[in-house]
Amino acid sequence: MVDAARHPNITVKSYTEVKRVEGFIGNFKVLVEEKPRYVNMDRCNGCGACSPVCPIEIPNEFEEGIAPRKAIYIPHAQAVPLRYVIDEEACIHCYKCVDACGKLDAIDFSQQPRQEWLDVGSILVATGFDNFDPSVIKEYGFGRYANVITAMELERINNSAGPTAGRIMRPSDSKFPNKISFIQCVGSRDERYNLYCSGFCCMYTIKNAVQWKQTYPDADITIFYMDIRTPSKGYEEFYRRAREMGIRFIQGRPSIITEDPKTGNLFIQAEDVGLGRTIELESEMVILSTAAIPRVDTDAMGSVLNISRSPDGFFMEYHPKLRPVDSPTDGVFLCGAAQSPKDIPASVAQGSAAASRAARILNADEWEIEPIVAMVWEDRCISAQGKKCGICATKCPYGAILVETGKAAMVTAAKCHGCGGCVAECPHNAITQKHFTDAQVISQLHALLRHEPEKKVLAFMCHWCSYGGADNAGTSHFEYPASQRGLRVMCSARMDSDFIFEAFRLGAGVVLVSGCHPQDCHYITGQRVGAERFEKLTKRLVDMGISPQRFRVEWISAAEGAKYAQVIREMDQTLRQIDPQALKEEIERTRPELERRVRRLPEIPDVALALELAKATS
Amino acid sequence: MSQNEDLRIGVYVCHCGSNIASVIDPKAVAEFASALPDVVLTNNSLYTCSDAGQRQIQEDIKNHKLNRVVVAACSVRLHEPTFRACVAEAGLNPFLFEMANIREQDTWVHSHEPEGALEKAKDLVASAVAKSRFLTPLDMIKVPVTKTAMVIGGGVAGISSALDLADMGIKTYLVEKEPSIGGRMAQLNKTFPTMDCSI
Repeated sequence: MVDAARHPNITVKSYTEVKRVEGFIGNFKVLVEEKPRYVNMDRCNGCGACSPVCPIEIPNEFEEGIAPRKAIYIPHAQAVPLRYVIDEEACIHCYKCVDACGKLDAIDFSQQPRQEWLDVGSILVATGFDNFDPSVIKEYGFGRYANVITAMELERINNSAGPTAGRIMRPSDSKFPNKISFIQCVGSRDERYNLYCSGFCCMYTIKNAVQWKQTYPDADITIFYMDIRTPSKGYEEFYRRAREMGIRFIQGRPSIITEDPKTGNLFIQAEDVGLGRTIELESEMVILSTAAIPRVDTDAMGSVLNISRSPDGFFMEYHPKLRPVDSPTDGVFLCGAAQSPKDIPASVAQGSAAASRAARILNADEWEIEPIVAMVWEDRCISAQGKKCGICATKCPYGAILVETGKAAMVTAAKCHGCGGCVAECPHNAITQKHFTDAQVISQLHALLRHEPEKKVLAFMCHWCSYGGADNAGTSHFEYPASQRGLRVMCSARMDSDFIFEAFRLGAGVVLVSGCHPQDCHYITGQRVGAERFEKLTKRLVDMGISPQRFRVEWISAAEGAKYAQVIREMDQTLRQIDPQALKEEIERTRPELERRVRRLPEIPDVALALELAKATS
Repeated sequence: MSQNEDLRIGVYVCHCGSNIASVIDPKAVAEFASALPDVVLTNNSLYTCSDAGQRQIQEDIKNHKLNRVVVAACSVRLHEPTFRACVAEAGLNPFLFEMANIREQDTWVHSHEPEGALEKAKDLVASAVAKSRFLTPLDMIKVPVTKTAMVIGGGVAGISSALDLADMGIKTYLVEKEPSIGGRMAQLNKTFPTMDCSI
């Protein structure tokens, strides 16, 4: 901690939150807001004269609420920076601290939140985890029984710098408990709360038990566990040491805890898997090993940073094996428990890994980004002919398009991220997207629907989410019917109405357009551009005589493989339920109108050739 | 543009060990591809991403003057960068490479429907080949780099990464929303397995 604060290359911005992130790899702009401390950081010397005179006492978060703190406080004795802070919500403005501070004159109630933009080339997300609140598990009585505590509370009680100066006492009567029990997997590996294994709780419990036993060799300690997980270096040996010390391990998840109100002692009912029968154990104190859960602000942080979450709620990495510390956004990296529950060695290792990934970029003079950007065909742009338009610019999430009547729309390539929204929205087919041109997509459509199109589920997928979701279905081996034919573009914004008309014109049985959930969109508002289009399109297709069940819009994240497979299964089922003859008639009946809709497609460069080639190969 | 040049497309169908080949016959897919217009060469190998597999592609680009390469294997999210680098090394613009996902989005999800999976693989290859005809060479866009990092979160992971970056000479902002850095780690007494203190 101190090393970080003293390092000449590190600027610690404490009491500061990230509000907004703009830009792209190598060139991010981050808006941060420093909350008012009401203490001048330059004047305060951390002497602590202010705190004792403060009349307010509220629960101290750092001590897990088991000790009080003042309204003017430092979180703990070794805080970095060692500067006091006033909790504005608790403060009653009695100004006793001002008097105590005296000549230093460090208290400053005029402070306001201070915002600033910072230019950075890379962002590392190390926002950590929250602890599961065990009070929701009623049968364990946390919150009702004084002597049922969490492991983090024990950390504070059993800490020489903690509120009891390391003297262990139980909450109900401040007596030393000699007979204690730990309960594992509280809130994890439990279908009601979280399916995942929290990873490090086995080890911290064994640590707590060993530490206790070292100090009090006569202590009677029991650990109720589901499985003990000790996969890292030295951990199994540590576990063995705990057993050898006489700590009792019972396999079985307790079903209920009851309290003897007279003694404050607790009775744990559990199945002992080893004995094959239920047991009851009396304990003077019970410690719950609570799960690590995603931070409460993960969603908000995710939308600021444009990164999404895995099914477990933690931030999702780009690839679980090959790019485990990269986020899906180039230049943004993940480390520590923000990505998944992790212990200290793993967090340190991942911190280094993320630093090294970021340094690849930061040590380069320039960075190459994919040229999958929009490009205007100037001769087709009506703005160049002096007509007012500018639709493309209004759809661009990045302000990358400049439209001046009399000139063709102009795309700034470095600003364009390549969602393709402008391309699909241009009513004059005057913009294309490199590497995802109309000719390329139309060629793919024809190839995918070359054989029995009426039996196919044609699925448009966005690169980042729904294609990822389809991959996730694959890696999880979630089966779905092979009637599906997938076509990938970068964003749902690129899914041009013409592509969907063309798919139906070719006789596709059912068509899916799928993209990111709005908050996950890789292109800020690209998904919204697509969603608005699909809403209109859904009505238009029905007006044209296409049965509503033949077109579906779904938002599927890269983690939702199960959903992807389910959607395809349902669509295949829908298709099978339509009478083939009726479907054939509908396809024939709607074709003339669909042909009318796509009649201008061949005007787009290369599309006529693509159609000709498709005809020749079919 | 495609109409101005003589297209020479090479199609590589990967077995991915048994990941693909246990469900469909990659040879059948390759045979199908060989009948597609402008496909001058097809190949099926155990692991196209292996050194040997990549070398084969590079040799074919040189010896057979391939100007489009299509690999039918896994997801673009996995190996598109691998194959783009491979073809670039052999002198072909990396954007003249196209991929068909016949693993994650085919054999891994249609193992109970091998015939359907085979038909789908053929269509996916046909689609990739069709797209490849209209691919154009593209140059990467070069952007400048601000040589400063931001670490959000001053717990043990954030502090570690900030220290490493700083030691590499990179100016780093360590942003912490609480009044002190340290995070959960600072709350702990002794830590496993060494039983030393946390701070």
